[in-house]
Amino acid sequence: MDQERRAQWLRGVLDLCVLALLSRGESYGYQLSQALRAHGLGAVQGGTLYPVLLRLQRSGLVSAHWREGETGPARKYYRISPAGSEALRTAGTDWTAFAASVGAILSEEQMR
Amino acid sequence: MNHHAWLAALTGELRRHGVGPDLTGHVVAEAATHLRESGEPPLRVFGPPEAYARAVADSLGGPDLRPPRRQPGPVRLAAQGVTKRYRGRTVLDRVDLTVRAGEIAAVVGANGAGKSTFLRICAGMLSPDAGTVRVHGTLGYCPQDGGTAEFLDPDEHFVLVGAGRGLDRGAARRSGRAGAAALDWAPPAGTQTRHLSGGTRQKLNLVLAGLGEPDVLLLDEPYQGFDRGTYLDFWHEVWRWRDAGKAIVVVTHLLNQLDRVDIVLDLTTPGERRA
Amino acid sequence: MTKILVVAESALRELLRRRSVLLILLLLPLAFYLSRRGDYLGQSIRFVCLGLGWALSTAALFAGSAARGMEPRLRLSGYGSLHLVLGRLLALWTVGVLLSAPYFVLILVDQHDVRYGAIALIMALTVAVAAPFGLLLSAVLPRELEGTLVLLTVVGLQMVMNPANNITRALPFWFSREIGTYAIDHTDGGYLSRGLTQGVAVAVTLTVLVAVAGAVRLRQRRHLRFA
Repeated sequence: MDQERRAQWLRGVLDLCVLALLSRGESYGYQLSQALRAHGLGAVQGGTLYPVLLRLQRSGLVSAHWREGETGPARKYYRISPAGSEALRTAGTDWTAFAASVGAILSEEQMR
Repeated sequence: MNHHAWLAALTGELRRHGVGPDLTGHVVAEAATHLRESGEPPLRVFGPPEAYARAVADSLGGPDLRPPRRQPGPVRLAAQGVTKRYRGRTVLDRVDLTVRAGEIAAVVGANGAGKSTFLRICAGMLSPDAGTVRVHGTLGYCPQDGGTAEFLDPDEHFVLVGAGRGLDRGAARRSGRAGAAALDWAPPAGTQTRHLSGGTRQKLNLVLAGLGEPDVLLLDEPYQGFDRGTYLDFWHEVWRWRDAGKAIVVVTHLLNQLDRVDIVLDLTTPGERRA
Repeated sequence: MTKILVVAESALRELLRRRSVLLILLLLPLAFYLSRRGDYLGQSIRFVCLGLGWALSTAALFAGSAARGMEPRLRLSGYGSLHLVLGRLLALWTVGVLLSAPYFVLILVDQHDVRYGAIALIMALTVAVAAPFGLLLSAVLPRELEGTLVLLTVVGLQMVMNPANNITRALPFWFSREIGTYAIDHTDGGYLSRGLTQGVAVAVTLTVLVAVAGAVRLRQRRHLRFA
């Protein structure tokens, strides 16, 4: 797949993906990057992921706190806030509609 | 670059980009955790420290993170009616400037507008044809170039200038090295000035101007040859001086910093001023 | 006093780090000495002293010019012009003594039947005169080239002019010929006292002039007032 285009798509939806993953339970940066990869989004590097988390935190959509891990170092855990869940619902609906429109156009093109 | 060096560089870059110490601590610790868990090289995960710090700073929104403005103090520098002519051409025409403790004044204007001339008059190195300058306290001056001795190393400069200010050797060296560290520079012992690059000489020049905590600092485009990071460090140092209650006059042609100063003195004469 | 010493120390470091210049300065009097050693021993003593004077004046000239960029800043940092001038002179005098010492030893070893004390006196006066002489030239002449040419002229005149001629007394190193005659040809004490008087007078005058030139150049300008 064209890496440049993929990066552009990701830029538009990464915050939503992160919010969606956090809506399933709190998590930390490394675990989030693993989960994104497991979902087929490829390697989302820390340099991209953490600024997104920071922005979400600043805008109050997620909250964060440090906790000692049972094994390994202290981690910064992120949790979705009520405002974050609300934003995810709205944006999730918008995205579904948007993706459907794009899908419709592209599939029409293929049918010809 | 190993983890440790990369994280140290990141700490410095975050500071340069105006990220506060608390948040810097969080960002660096989080990055360290990630690197340890993933076991990947920092350059692949986060990219160069400078780029990552910029991304972090950008994600914070507004760039202006300076501490709240304090009330300016007493007048430190008062230039009145300063006039200077060169071969019949009036370079400075009755220029006034008053700078109080805790204020930064930027002197701007086209090439040949007399910015350096004005500063040299304020520093007492040049006599004006008319006008007076009153200084309350001690004066530190950073010329555009020169002002250093080719065959002395940075520490010897600190001792020499410091002795004039009444600092003993140890105090002068410590103070100079602290000033250098603020510009992310560790002066190499035993390296004579003539072997330093242009930008590094200017760092030395700037540190010397601030040595001994003068009340008024006159800085004549001291950032020539600075890379972007050092340029940011320079402004942080200037703001730190301001917050310490010094009066600062800085010659600049870079207008993007003007929102961060208190006074702007434009020396371009109305006839020459472009729309 | 601390300020003078710190200036002196810095100036001394700067001088000692100009290795190649220092080497030439050290060898120049030797060349003068050897050039005359063949024909007449006494003459070689006179020449080595002139060589020392020239070498040290040149060093002072260049040191004075090199210091110009730094001095206004030092003045602003709390030094008086006298601190700067005396500090630099002290450094140059030290270099002068270091420069002369091996030549004095050379004369002790190589020459006999001369008054060594008088020769030491010539060297001391030469050092005392040459340092402020070079500094003064650097203060009044805009560029090093002019200063070097003046030095060349003075030393050249000193070598070729008849010392009995009254005009030559105005030359800064005249005492060197006069005391030299006393030391080498064992003439009467008149030569010694005349030379000594002229040498001391020149050294004092030049030192005062350098101090005055420094005070004028680094003066506190009238438009600027500190409160």
